[in-house]
Amino acid sequence: MNKEQILENLATAIVDGDDDMALESARAALDAQLDPLDAVDQGLSKGMDIIGEQFQSGEVFLPELLMAASAFKAAMEILKPEIELQKKEIAKQGTVLIGTVKGDLHSIGKNIVGTVLETKGFDVVDIGIDNGALDIIQEAKKVQADVIALSCLMTTTMPAQKEVIETLEEMNLRDKYFVIVGGGPVTPEWANEIGADGYGESAIQAAELVKELMDNK
Amino acid sequence: MPNLLDFMERATTGPILSEDDFNMKHLIPNVRKIVREFEIHYTPENPVPSDDAFADRLFEAAIEFIVRTGVYCDDTNRVIQFEREEIVQAVANLPGGATFGEGRECRFFSPRKPEDGNQPWYHVGTGIVASSEDIALAQVEGYGSIPRANSISIPALKSIKGMDVIGGSPLEIHAAVSAVQAGRKALTRSGRPGLPILNLISTATTALGTIAGTHPNFGLRPSDGWLIDFLAEMKVNFETLNRLAFIQITGGNIGSTALPILGGYAGGAPGTALVMMAYYLLGITLFQGSYHLTGPVHFRHGCSTTRDILWVFSVVGRAASRNTRYPAIALGYAAAGPATQMYFYEAAAANLCFVPSGYAGVQTVHPAKAVIDDGVSPLEAQFCVEVAHAVTGMSAERANALVNQLLEKYEKEIDKTPAGKRYQECYDPKTGKPGDDYLRLFNEMKAELAGMGIPFA
Repeated sequence: MNKEQILENLATAIVDGDDDMALESARAALDAQLDPLDAVDQGLSKGMDIIGEQFQSGEVFLPELLMAASAFKAAMEILKPEIELQKKEIAKQGTVLIGTVKGDLHSIGKNIVGTVLETKGFDVVDIGIDNGALDIIQEAKKVQADVIALSCLMTTTMPAQKEVIETLEEMNLRDKYFVIVGGGPVTPEWANEIGADGYGESAIQAAELVKELMDNK
Repeated sequence: MPNLLDFMERATTGPILSEDDFNMKHLIPNVRKIVREFEIHYTPENPVPSDDAFADRLFEAAIEFIVRTGVYCDDTNRVIQFEREEIVQAVANLPGGATFGEGRECRFFSPRKPEDGNQPWYHVGTGIVASSEDIALAQVEGYGSIPRANSISIPALKSIKGMDVIGGSPLEIHAAVSAVQAGRKALTRSGRPGLPILNLISTATTALGTIAGTHPNFGLRPSDGWLIDFLAEMKVNFETLNRLAFIQITGGNIGSTALPILGGYAGGAPGTALVMMAYYLLGITLFQGSYHLTGPVHFRHGCSTTRDILWVFSVVGRAASRNTRYPAIALGYAAAGPATQMYFYEAAAANLCFVPSGYAGVQTVHPAKAVIDDGVSPLEAQFCVEVAHAVTGMSAERANALVNQLLEKYEKEIDKTPAGKRYQECYDPKTGKPGDDYLRLFNEMKAELAGMGIPFA
């Protein structure tokens, strides 16, 4: 199998969400002595770009994204040790800490945004639901987050998004992180009112927003 | 038939696994397999299908889906499992409706069948749109003044005495109590104190808020209705089950509710229809509810008036009403806001799906995706009631043609819809009457829709 075929297989494994094919293609890449970074950039990431575009156009949905992310992780289990062995580094897009705010137990919107961000190459740390302001900030410090993404589904939990921003200000940490907000009842006006750095109406918009913020960092 | 304590036992002894494994190894593969096995195909050209065999297949598919998948309990990380026979038995044992309201507002909420000539239950108002404390009273009074209204939803309060509500705090307790007191007071002012409130307790984010607001000092009655929701998708937690335990013990009407996400774990329209049908059955079996409130939401557009969502509404309504006697209220979200031409098109399309497909009840289509504070007024509720009344008895085939015409008018605009007006911008809060411009638009839109073939009374 030549290099182009292996890279194509890696991309196909991602688009098809096929863990076995991803593992097999990653092994084939190393056997053929491909640069493991090329396997990531020109194979796996290309597949992620394709699935991301299909998601954006409504051709595929969350299940396909999750399966693509799973195949990506499977291939990386083979490629990552070789990348480290060769003392190379995968370009970092940034780290996003994502969670649902205090009092809100709804997770699906957050999960969709987190998955889309992963397909765009961001490191995503998902802290789950019902997180207090201080817990979110401490976790952001621990994982050295670039962006804090706050989700809520209920009108009555929206004020908890504001509380995170106010607590960051009180702790003189506001300029350390970009803070973005989203969720069913959240609007751009609300994001503006509470001093967030942005708002995404959809998962795609949220991912574009994070990219824009990181590009201008 | 198993009761809540039996299900709690399953929630503490069922198969243990992480939420990710439940999603990736059970939920998603089962949706995909069952959609394929039962041949659940989306037909975009028919947003209001009339295929009874398909509807019955969807119903059977949903039973099989629950048996294979179960419901995940977030707090125990275990799967609550179900047997086919207990689902079938629970459906067979349904009482076939429930009584709501008091005095001259006391009514029996009956199931309907597809293309039924009986009027649907008119449930008016919104519980998700947040309202200012002063506006909430006027809105509810306006809902109470709609003669055909059978029940109402009261708004959620986002603040109390100028302070933002914090979930699980004393502020939530106060806001939950204030909201129900205001709702009852407004209904009394509208001259209909017996009208039931069916979205209790809109302001409560926790079981604690629900229990506090339900205290008999604050005006609620067992003839009202308490909504208890599933988490997306196929999940519950102790907050949910605590509310359920409390309302079961105190004898209130339980309204099972779920708003599945099209594009989420269930995937596209076929999977969403499957999961939405499954929630009906879980409402009957696990929650043992008196009624159901349902409506899918599009993951990207945040509304439920897109072509694929309307199809989901229609096929599930047909499947559920043909195979169960569990009265369900259809809840839709319009992309456009109040006092816009597009809102009327969307709301008309939604009701043309709901009523001929056999939903027992219809709720006011929520304007502007329910995200604008004070972004709702009684005239939207009035419009939805009038459309639903007009299309009662209409064939699905005729409704399908009309919905296709309406979709042509708005579906390309779904991403650039007008936010519309807030209550105080299109109503006079002092008199509780709509402004002249809004009333004119209302009448013009009714005339246009009548010209298309909606037979308004």
